[in-house]
Amino acid sequence: MSFEPKILGIACNWCTYTGADLAGTTRLQYPQNLRVVRVMCSSRINPSFIFRAFQLGADGVLVGGCHPGDCHYNTGNLYARRRLAVTKKILEFSGIEPERFRVEWISASEGNRYAEVVTEFTEQVKQLGPQTKFKISR
Amino acid sequence: MASSFKQIEDKLKTEAKKLLKTGQVSVVLAYGKGYDDNHPMPYIAKLPSDADNIVFNEYCTHNLARYLVRYPKGTKIAVAVKAADSRAVIQLIQEEKVKREDLILLGLPAYGMKNSKTGEIIDSQTTCGLYNPVLYDTLLGEEVHGQPVVSPYDVLAQYEAMDKDARFEFWKKEFDKCIRCYACRKACPMCYCDPCFIDQNNPRWGEKSPQSHGNLMYHLTRFHHLAGRCIDCGECSRACPVDIPLYLFHKKVAKECEEMFGQASGMRIDDKPVLVNFRVDDSDKILE
Repeated sequence: MSFEPKILGIACNWCTYTGADLAGTTRLQYPQNLRVVRVMCSSRINPSFIFRAFQLGADGVLVGGCHPGDCHYNTGNLYARRRLAVTKKILEFSGIEPERFRVEWISASEGNRYAEVVTEFTEQVKQLGPQTKFKISR
Repeated sequence: MASSFKQIEDKLKTEAKKLLKTGQVSVVLAYGKGYDDNHPMPYIAKLPSDADNIVFNEYCTHNLARYLVRYPKGTKIAVAVKAADSRAVIQLIQEEKVKREDLILLGLPAYGMKNSKTGEIIDSQTTCGLYNPVLYDTLLGEEVHGQPVVSPYDVLAQYEAMDKDARFEFWKKEFDKCIRCYACRKACPMCYCDPCFIDQNNPRWGEKSPQSHGNLMYHLTRFHHLAGRCIDCGECSRACPVDIPLYLFHKKVAKECEEMFGQASGMRIDDKPVLVNFRVDDSDKILE
């Protein structure tokens, strides 16, 4: 059986989650490996969520937010951009593949793009194989 | 020619006595005698007569900015600051934990500080590589000049060049040594959260017993919390009883923050810490 990655998606309520909804209602096909968690804003994401997801066995983490300047709360994603950039550098220096973590800006009308990003990211994580470095062995 | 440690100590004593006598400050944070000469301790002088107990020698590495946040707001404090310590004070002022007008900074220009565990001279390998305080009211002694200028980030090159699997093994080995004594947190002037995320039970961010995955969670999150705030004093690694090179990771994060956001921590009072600030024209490239 081929490797099916588990991917955590964290999506902003106003853009990416609505975009995912649109992808669904327009019946676009995309892989089912993504488990989406809805948050009110991408700046709600505590970097510990990402470390914790990797520890609990996620093979990849995809964060979706509004395009910079389009945030429902005006500036939320601008803070998130800086914060998640640091998270990425920390993951990289700690030795995990930085390709397992990705931030994308997807607006509510970009259902196509949502499907594209999910397909592409799932393929990328599939190439990398199972994530064993952070995962807690039980 | 830089002043000797003895000269600086004498000046520090006189200055502390004067400040306490005139009532300009209610406490002076400085160094006192420990169990031997190689292990001085932070010392809090409250009476003019206490000032005689102050010592300053090459082993006084502690970052005294650590103790500023313990006092209620409005307390007048005089604090002896070396180079990195003054950056910590600036960072605390930026974060509005202390007010500039409540502080009197006694600058100590000190070259040749030594690690009391190993006896090695502390330079840009483990710290920011500055020897003169960035901010002070009175400088006790002459400025240090003529030391070679080395980038504090040079030491990172060999770790950045490592293969990512090798780097993961390196950090795993280091973090597995951790006994979770939290000496790094106690020594850090920027770690003032109450309660610390790792002490919280709901949500429980990470395992509290010294196990591999809990250690990883604690250290990675701590590096993240200190991103753009760490002033590179290296005190966490010197306080560590099992010698984890925490300074390496802090340097790496500081370097990335400086490159991405163009601002070094603790250099100017009017700056805002990088992660509570943003620019509309930040590039999306930083996420790649």
